[in-house]
Amino acid sequence: MSAVIDRSWRDPALLGKALPAVLLQTTCFLAPLLMTIALTFQRTRDFQLSWTWSLHTWTDVFTKAHYWTILGHTLFMATLCVALCLLIAFPVAYALASRLRAFQNHVKVLITFAFLTDATLKTFGWVLFLDKNGAANYLARGLGFEGDAVNILFTDWATMLGMVYNLLAFAIFTIYLSIDEIDRSLVLAAYDAGASKFRAFWEVTLPLARPGIWAGAVLIFLLAVGVFLEPKVLGGGKSPMSAELIRQTFETRVNWPLGAALTMVLMTVAVFVVLLFNRVYSLKRHLGPA
Amino acid sequence: MTGYPQPTPWLNARAEARLADVLLYGATGAVLLFFYIPIFTLIAFSFQEGRFLTLPFEGFSLRWYGELFRNSNAGNALWNSTLIAVVAMVFATLIGTLAAIVAVRYRFRLRIPFTGLAAAPLAFPQLLLGIVLLLWFSVLGRQFNFNTGLVTAIIGHVVYIAPFAMVIVAVQVFNFDATLEDAARDCGASNWAVYRYITLPLLWPGIFSAAIFSFLLSWGNFYLTYSLSGAARTLPTFVFSGIATGSSPLYPAIATVVFIPGILLVILADRMRRRAA
Repeated sequence: MSAVIDRSWRDPALLGKALPAVLLQTTCFLAPLLMTIALTFQRTRDFQLSWTWSLHTWTDVFTKAHYWTILGHTLFMATLCVALCLLIAFPVAYALASRLRAFQNHVKVLITFAFLTDATLKTFGWVLFLDKNGAANYLARGLGFEGDAVNILFTDWATMLGMVYNLLAFAIFTIYLSIDEIDRSLVLAAYDAGASKFRAFWEVTLPLARPGIWAGAVLIFLLAVGVFLEPKVLGGGKSPMSAELIRQTFETRVNWPLGAALTMVLMTVAVFVVLLFNRVYSLKRHLGPA
Repeated sequence: MTGYPQPTPWLNARAEARLADVLLYGATGAVLLFFYIPIFTLIAFSFQEGRFLTLPFEGFSLRWYGELFRNSNAGNALWNSTLIAVVAMVFATLIGTLAAIVAVRYRFRLRIPFTGLAAAPLAFPQLLLGIVLLLWFSVLGRQFNFNTGLVTAIIGHVVYIAPFAMVIVAVQVFNFDATLEDAARDCGASNWAVYRYITLPLLWPGIFSAAIFSFLLSWGNFYLTYSLSGAARTLPTFVFSGIATGSSPLYPAIATVVFIPGILLVILADRMRRRAA
C-alpha cells in the first residue's frame, strides 16, 4: 500500500505533476462549459451569432413543450437502460469475481475488446444483424420460424438494445471492482453464523457491492442521456432523443444559443436526477430499517 | 443465539449452489455472445461476394478487401485515425499518470477539487463534450483565425481520455510500496535515479495498460472526432458517413481490418498487467 504524503498544495513537486491536468481541464473543459452557459444568453441574426445579451433563448426553451417531450423520452430511455445494464451486468461481474478462476482473464480480455471497439462499427453490425434480410432472420428461418421473426430494427427497442450494448461494460467493470474488493472472511463469517448461501449474498455481498453498482449506474445514466448514434442508426431517427435534437439545432438550424441552452438543460436535468436519487436513497437508509 | 429466526431455506444448500452456478455461468456466456453478435456479423459480411448486405450470400470472396486496399479515402481515414490515436495516447497517458500520482499519493488541501476536475469529463456525454468544445474552438478560431482539424480533434480526445488513463494508473499507484523509494534514497540515489529505476518500473504496467486503453479509445472514437475534426475523416466518421448514404461490404471489411490490431493490443495489455501482479 502506498504511503500517503502530506503536502502543501504549493509544493513544487506536487504542483508540477498536477499542473498539466489542471491546465488541460480548465482551458478545454471548464472554460468551454462556462462559455456555453454564456452563449445561451446571446442571440442569433441571419444564422450568425451576435453577442447581445438577452433572455430570448431561455423563453423559447421554456415555452415550447416539444423540447420537454423529447427530454422526457430521453430520461425514460436512459433510466430503462441503467436498470437493464445493472440487471445484466451484476451476475456477470459476480461470476468474474467469484467463479471462472481459470477463464477469468480470457473473459476480461473479450469484454475489454468488445468495449473498446469502435461504437459506430458495432452499431452498424447490429443493423446488419437485425435487418429484415439480415443475419437474425436468416438464422430464425433456418430454425424454422416463418417470415420475418425478428422485426425490431428502426424502433425504440433497437435503440435500447444498442444503448445497453454500448454501455453495459461500464457496469460490469465498476461492479466487478467493488465485488472483488469484498473481504471474503465476511462472507465466511455469515456462513458460520448459519446463513444460507443466498442469505449471505443478500445481506453481505450485495450491500458491500453498492458503491460499484452506484458508480456504474451514475456513469451509465449520464452517458445514456447523451447517446446519438443508437437512436439515429438503430432507431432510424424516428423518435429523436435530446442529443439528436441538440445536434440538429447546431447543424441544421445553426442556432448556437438554442443548442447551448438545450445542452445545459440536458446536463442540469441529468445531474439533478442523479442527486435526487442519491438523496432519496440515503434518506431511506436513515429512516428505514437498517 | 436465539435472536435470529431461522427461516427454513426454500432450497437445500446443494441445489442452491447449482442454481447459482447455472445462473452465473449462463449469464456470462449469454453476455459474451451478446457482445460478439455484431462483431461476428461484420466479419461474416465482409466476405460477401455481392454488393448487397443481405443473406444468403452470393458467394464468398475477398473482393471487398481488395477494394478497400485501392480506396484512397479509406487509406486516408486510416492514417488520420492512427495519427490522432498515437498523439492523443502520448499526451493522455502522460497527463493521466501525473494526475494519478498526485491524486493517490499526496494529501493536500485541494485534493478533492483537483480529483473532481481531472476526472470530470468521464461522466460527461461525449457528444455534448464534442459540441461544447466545437463552440469553444469556433469562437477562438474566429478570434485567432484557425479552423477545426486534426489538432482540435486531438485536443478533444486528450480531454476525454486523460481521465481514463488517470483512473487506470491510479489503481497501480494505490498498490505502490513507497518504502522502496525511501530505501533507494537512503542508499544515496538522486531524485532522478529514484524516478528512473524505482518509481517508473513499478508503475510501468499500469502506465502501459493506460496507454493501450487510451490508444484504442481514441482510435475508435466517433463523437468527438465527428464534432472536432473539421474536414478530416477518421475511420469511425468515414464509416458513419458511408453507412448514412448507402452501404456496401466495404464497411464490414474495414471493421474486420480494424478488429485485428485491437484484439492484439488488448491481449498485450492483459499480459503486461498480469506479469506485474
